[in-house]
Amino acid sequence: MGRILLNVEEFKKYFPVKGGLFSKPAYIRAVDGVSFQVEKGETFGVVGESGSGKTTLGMMVLKLIEPTSGKMYFDGIEITSIKGREFKKLRKRMGIVFQDPSASLNPRMTVRGTLRRPLAIHGVKRGEEVEKRILSMLEKVGLGREHLDRYPHELSGGQQQRVAIARAMILNPDLVVHDEPTSSLDVSVQSQILNLLLRLQNEFNLTYLFITHDLVTVRHVSDRIAVMYLGKIVEIAETDELFKNTMHPYTVALLSAAPIPNPEVKSVKRFIVGGEPPSPINPPQGCRFHPRCRYVTKECISQEPRLLEVEKNHYVACHRSCELDLSSYTRDLWRIMEEAIAGSERMIIKT
Amino acid sequence: MVLNLNRVKGKMLPLLHYRTSCVGLLIVFGIAAIAVGATVIAPRHYAETDIVNRLRPPSLEYPFGTDVLGRGVFSRVVYGARIAIWVGLFVVFIEASVGVTLGIIAGYYGGKIDKVISAITDMVWAFPPIVLALGVVTLIGPGLNQVVMAVAFVSWPIFTRIIRAKVQSLVNREFILAARAIGESNLDIMLRYLLPNVVSSILVLATLTLPAAILSTTALSFLGFGAQPPTPDWGAMLSDGAAQLATAPWIATFPGIFIVITVLGFNLLGDGLRDLLDPRLKV
Amino acid sequence: MNTPLLDVKGLRTYFYTGRGVVKAVDGVNFIIKEDEVFCLVGETGCGKSVTALSIMRLIPYPGKILDGSMLYKGKNLLKLSESEIRKIRGREIAMIFQNPMNSLNPVFTIGYQISEAPITHFNLSRQDGWKKAVELIEKVKMPDAEVRAKTFPHVLSGGMRQRSMIAMMISCEPNLLIADEPTTSVDVTIQAQLMHLLKEIKEKRRMSIMLITHNFGLVAETGDRVAVMYCGKIVEIGSVKEIFREPMHPYTQGLLRCLPIGFERKKQLDSIPGTIPNPINPPPGCRFYPRCKYTVEKCKLQEPLQIDLGKGHLVACHLCGG
Repeated sequence: MGRILLNVEEFKKYFPVKGGLFSKPAYIRAVDGVSFQVEKGETFGVVGESGSGKTTLGMMVLKLIEPTSGKMYFDGIEITSIKGREFKKLRKRMGIVFQDPSASLNPRMTVRGTLRRPLAIHGVKRGEEVEKRILSMLEKVGLGREHLDRYPHELSGGQQQRVAIARAMILNPDLVVHDEPTSSLDVSVQSQILNLLLRLQNEFNLTYLFITHDLVTVRHVSDRIAVMYLGKIVEIAETDELFKNTMHPYTVALLSAAPIPNPEVKSVKRFIVGGEPPSPINPPQGCRFHPRCRYVTKECISQEPRLLEVEKNHYVACHRSCELDLSSYTRDLWRIMEEAIAGSERMIIKT
Repeated sequence: MVLNLNRVKGKMLPLLHYRTSCVGLLIVFGIAAIAVGATVIAPRHYAETDIVNRLRPPSLEYPFGTDVLGRGVFSRVVYGARIAIWVGLFVVFIEASVGVTLGIIAGYYGGKIDKVISAITDMVWAFPPIVLALGVVTLIGPGLNQVVMAVAFVSWPIFTRIIRAKVQSLVNREFILAARAIGESNLDIMLRYLLPNVVSSILVLATLTLPAAILSTTALSFLGFGAQPPTPDWGAMLSDGAAQLATAPWIATFPGIFIVITVLGFNLLGDGLRDLLDPRLKV
Repeated sequence: MNTPLLDVKGLRTYFYTGRGVVKAVDGVNFIIKEDEVFCLVGETGCGKSVTALSIMRLIPYPGKILDGSMLYKGKNLLKLSESEIRKIRGREIAMIFQNPMNSLNPVFTIGYQISEAPITHFNLSRQDGWKKAVELIEKVKMPDAEVRAKTFPHVLSGGMRQRSMIAMMISCEPNLLIADEPTTSVDVTIQAQLMHLLKEIKEKRRMSIMLITHNFGLVAETGDRVAVMYCGKIVEIGSVKEIFREPMHPYTQGLLRCLPIGFERKKQLDSIPGTIPNPINPPPGCRFYPRCKYTVEKCKLQEPLQIDLGKGHLVACHLCGG
């Protein structure tokens, strides 16, 4: 076990919903009791669909959204209610990369300006030092001097995301939160950016919190993965373990639904879950997944399951985790994901 | 500008607009040129009297005729262009400064601050501008500077409203979140992130409110609160010429025509600018 | 033997913008057979959506279909008059789009909207049309069909709206359903439900589906045959199994090898260097040559023709013998 960099305890975030004059106060329970730990140097994946609360969680970690309740520790120090100068120092140690690079860059700031701001805010005086650092960071993300004076709209999607990544990392943070960093990019650009992120992690010994809905991507980059459903974590495990030995019915559903780019997948029986994700304002009683779960029992309807360590380093929130064997659904899918497609590198020239 | 003009060219109606905004641009340039080159264009100083030749109709020597004191109407109109534009610009500058600042603050902070600013904005907005301006000049006395202050004082709400709406649409976008994530202070976010992104709206708004500013100041001068004689303010000239309208119509007519053309020019230009830069702006 | 359902040859659709001529689709040939799922896959700007809109003859100004033939049941869709194509649209060839909220009219109930096509094409009465709509809502597995028919689009979730779209589009039992990125705006579990539904409908009615997507996972799961587009041209066509197992075109190879499967975790993936070229001035010769590792002189000068490698596998690459 390495050093714990980030420790989140019972994070909750409720957003009030404005009703009319006569309606009861209602809340969107975006994050409803989430706890986990991230070790230094690892990539912790957080996977879920829309409404799962994963994006809200990412913002809470970065303290862009204040939690309704719960505690957070960074490198051992409690930072839940940190303010002022201490807070500013903390900002240096965390960065964030958003999903849509064209929206996350200031349209009226050049690349140079965007990269200079973090340095200026944290006291690096103007001059040679700043220029050097900006250029060096640009090179690391695969851009060059010619991009310095360009505006975001003059760059391609991939280039914009590289600038966003450079901005997040220019102050040498310890933790970087990625919120769907490749989802709005083309396939060929996605792999370039993923490669970049992995390289940078290696070079700077970064810790990543990787938030996405794409199981195939999260599997490639993560050491451990947490699966979220309607504001709660339903399963946490090391990557291979999660896919080989899936224990929560929702994770099985998610895995079954993920489109895997290998035609072999047609022969695997898929677990198609019915129903719609319920509303986060009035989540179901008991286990939140119970209305859509085929293994539901009376206990599931009345009591919320707790997240328990059922096997070594494998946490599940399901009353029936010990009885059910769901790995038969997912093991084949995992095997298919391990197989390379498109053969090895060769070019067949047919005459 | 070329890119957007091409988008505009795609349909017939905007094509019409494109032409009219060109007309607007020409007019604005024309009036501005007259204002700048007043000393060269005008044959004589605006206060120079020639009592012998008073109330003469337009002639070669006095292209727009003379007024009751024998001053050349042409020269006075030409110098008047300076005043009209200068005064208009001043008013818009003050309006914009106050309005934009309040708009950005209200849009960014929201909550109680927004409620207070919006309430004040709505209150001032509710008054007919001329009436309110009249009230102000009655308090602070007549004079061109006072008129500028009065008109600016009542016209800033439009800036606040529009900029506040614009800022509200920007404030939840990811680049603002990203700015907070790197530790930008509220002031820096407003200055470096919000302000540059509303500049095009400010420009459009300024061009569209300038004619209103000119009209308001002219109106106040017409009523006697603005420019004091012998300042050749067009509104004052209208007032002077009103008495002689039957016998010496040229004294009021020429300044009147120029007021109309100037206001029209800025309106056309402003419409064109808005279509180019910010089509969703509704003034 | 079996004549294809749709036979497209030499399709050229250009957009005449102020910035220049955008050659969105520049000489495209493919066939869609009966009762198959045909996938058109590619990255942004490759021309896949424009191809679909060309088939439906729904190209907006300033676009124009210049050239080519689209044979559907012996008729050339490009040569039909406006009224003739309207009889085919919705009735025999239907299309569902990416964002259902944009395709559904917010002021009419979904029952009304679903009944519109059958009423128009089959001359049904309002009541019969409504009954058909309720039937269709049941067919797309939405619970409480009677009640559902009376609701408005904004009340429904994304998945339900897309189901309503599907109900609308299959109401006249078309032979070809074109689905343009139908699941991009919904969650993964809902996507799985929708794809499953489409497959079921296809089986029951012997309908062909033309699936346009950028997601290779969807192609692998539902597709029978696939065409890969790049910069307005089709670079490779074949059965899904063939293409995934033995892609011949360097672009197809590059794309498939970009996907994060079959690689050791946290190791570098393959990638295609460079970026997609500008469709206004594509490179001469083979459009992929600036990013291709295997180029020879010929690639810069001559556009490659489609070569038949057997078993319906076609490639447009000089190095495959073209």
